[in-house]
Amino acid sequence: MVGEVSGPAYLRGLLLLALVAGGLAGLAGAQPSGALSAPGPEPAPQVTGPIAADRFRSESDYAEVALPVRLRIPELRVQSELERLGLQSDGAVAVPKDPHVAGWYEHGPRPGQPGPAVILGHVDSKAGPGIFASLAGAPVGTQVRVDRADGSTVTFRITRISRVPKDEFPTDLVYAPTLDATLRLVTCGGGFDRSRGSYRDNVIAYAEPV
Amino acid sequence: MRKPGEGWRRHSIPILCAGLLAALPIGSAGAAPPAPATPGHGHDHAVVAAGRLAPSDAADHAVRLQALLGQHSVLAADVMRSRIRGDDDFVQAAEAALGKNTDAMTDLMDRLFGEDMVGTFRPMWAEHVVELVAYASALAARDNTAREHAREELIEYEGELSEFLAGLSRGRLATADAHHALSMHVEHLTRQADAYAKGDYLTADRVNREGYQHLYDLGLVLAETLLPAGDRSALRQPVWRLRSQLGKLLAEHVVLVEDVTRAAVTNTPDFDAAARMINANTRDLTAAMDSLFGTAAARQFQQLWGEHVEQLVAYSAATAKKDEAGRSKARAALAEYEKDVAEFLSGATGERMTRPKLFEAFAGHDEMLLKHADAYASRDYATAHDIAYQTYEHGFDLARQLADAFGETVAARLPRGGAQTGYGGLVTGGR
Repeated sequence: MVGEVSGPAYLRGLLLLALVAGGLAGLAGAQPSGALSAPGPEPAPQVTGPIAADRFRSESDYAEVALPVRLRIPELRVQSELERLGLQSDGAVAVPKDPHVAGWYEHGPRPGQPGPAVILGHVDSKAGPGIFASLAGAPVGTQVRVDRADGSTVTFRITRISRVPKDEFPTDLVYAPTLDATLRLVTCGGGFDRSRGSYRDNVIAYAEPV
Repeated sequence: MRKPGEGWRRHSIPILCAGLLAALPIGSAGAAPPAPATPGHGHDHAVVAAGRLAPSDAADHAVRLQALLGQHSVLAADVMRSRIRGDDDFVQAAEAALGKNTDAMTDLMDRLFGEDMVGTFRPMWAEHVVELVAYASALAARDNTAREHAREELIEYEGELSEFLAGLSRGRLATADAHHALSMHVEHLTRQADAYAKGDYLTADRVNREGYQHLYDLGLVLAETLLPAGDRSALRQPVWRLRSQLGKLLAEHVVLVEDVTRAAVTNTPDFDAAARMINANTRDLTAAMDSLFGTAAARQFQQLWGEHVEQLVAYSAATAKKDEAGRSKARAALAEYEKDVAEFLSGATGERMTRPKLFEAFAGHDEMLLKHADAYASRDYATAHDIAYQTYEHGFDLARQLADAFGETVAARLPRGGAQTGYGGLVTGGR
């Protein structure tokens, strides 16, 4: 353990290092750059031979994560192509045209890319259940697979499901620009407002990569 | 109703180094690097009932703690490698920088977690540094007995510190989890030292990169488990996540540029490994830009950023060859890049960061990195480490400003309100 040493804290730290290191200072092995012993600045060393750094090039071929094309949630018997969704004229997120097809919000990250990817699906329509009819009841741990255009698949695990009034939708938490490669699944839930023909709440499943 | 971007604005706190950026040199060879800006400097912060600090201060300090822990990993590896090389002057300068980092970290922990915590933590931390140096010295001396002894001491330290941290967290941090995190830290540093001693620089640098990222992330784990509940909640807000994540990438960029330019000015065989690491960091930064601004912007960024790294390396290669014309050419190319990157980022952020401000910031960043390369080439390791320390702080503070500007820009175009994903009224309830 460390004994009591007086003086500024960082100097105490240095002294501690010196206690162990000092006696071993002369036992060095030889590795990359030239071993030095004289104190103080010196002129630049004479470098000989081909300069490795002359070959250096920064990478310029950025390969983006492929577009998502299909959603699979085996536990909920969900399988769907993915429609690409943008914004409506009032700034709200667009929703899939077909209640049996899920959609990916294309102005956000692609699934598996840093940041929260968002996939939306209808809970129902006037004709019957939609693609996300059973999302609200999905157990924590449910696996969600997203197939991508390059043939790859990224798998997520649902960690939490919440239901929130639409007028208190947590935009920050669902769409926010962080660099965590997460997935959010969004549908409707809660009470149905018959006068407006829509649900009062949204159900949000938060998922992390497996 | 929470409006798009409201969270960003609500959690926006004063940009602490705006004045610092204004004072930065614009490609001026004689200008001194800026002094680091430390959030909440001094002990004049408001202590709130739930914790020692206001939640935003606590979150700010927690993100800074991450940066200091990441820096510890880098500096500890520097000390170990220079021990293995027998580069005594470098050892001395690196140890001084590591001591400064320990002081800054424990001072910050004092504010976050209290004097009692630091009183026990600091000697434990210092002891593990001593044993890491002993491990590297034993490697250099090819003394397996001493190496095993250092390893045993490190294992003992892992146990003691993990029990201490778990106890302090009052059940929020399991001893096993703390132990796993600390043993990974030690494992990263000893593995990179083993590989370095064997001349396997690619493994050494890859493990070192993992070690930096691991310890940076450990700062958040400590904050999330040791801070009071009221302070912890702020850490989960996207604004803090982005500050933390961009800070990690940009501070790492500084460290890896320094690694690759050190290898370039001395033309040492670890250059290729260092080059691969800086390219990997550029790739990660580009991926982050893609997530925030889209693929086209990311590709544009990659070209600009890549040019910046290439010219820093070209300057270092010219320095190795004593090629003054080559050095001037690289400086001129960097000056062009600084204008271009300022224009690109001011456009990307809708002028939330202005071109002059960005230009000053990136010119200051480059200037410090060039001075660092010069100091290292002339074997003035004390100056090289001082500049490296300041450049790291500067990079981290710049990341914070960029994160806030990026976050506000993206937040402004997020969808408004909830989604109309149901019309039938067939379903009721849900969680």
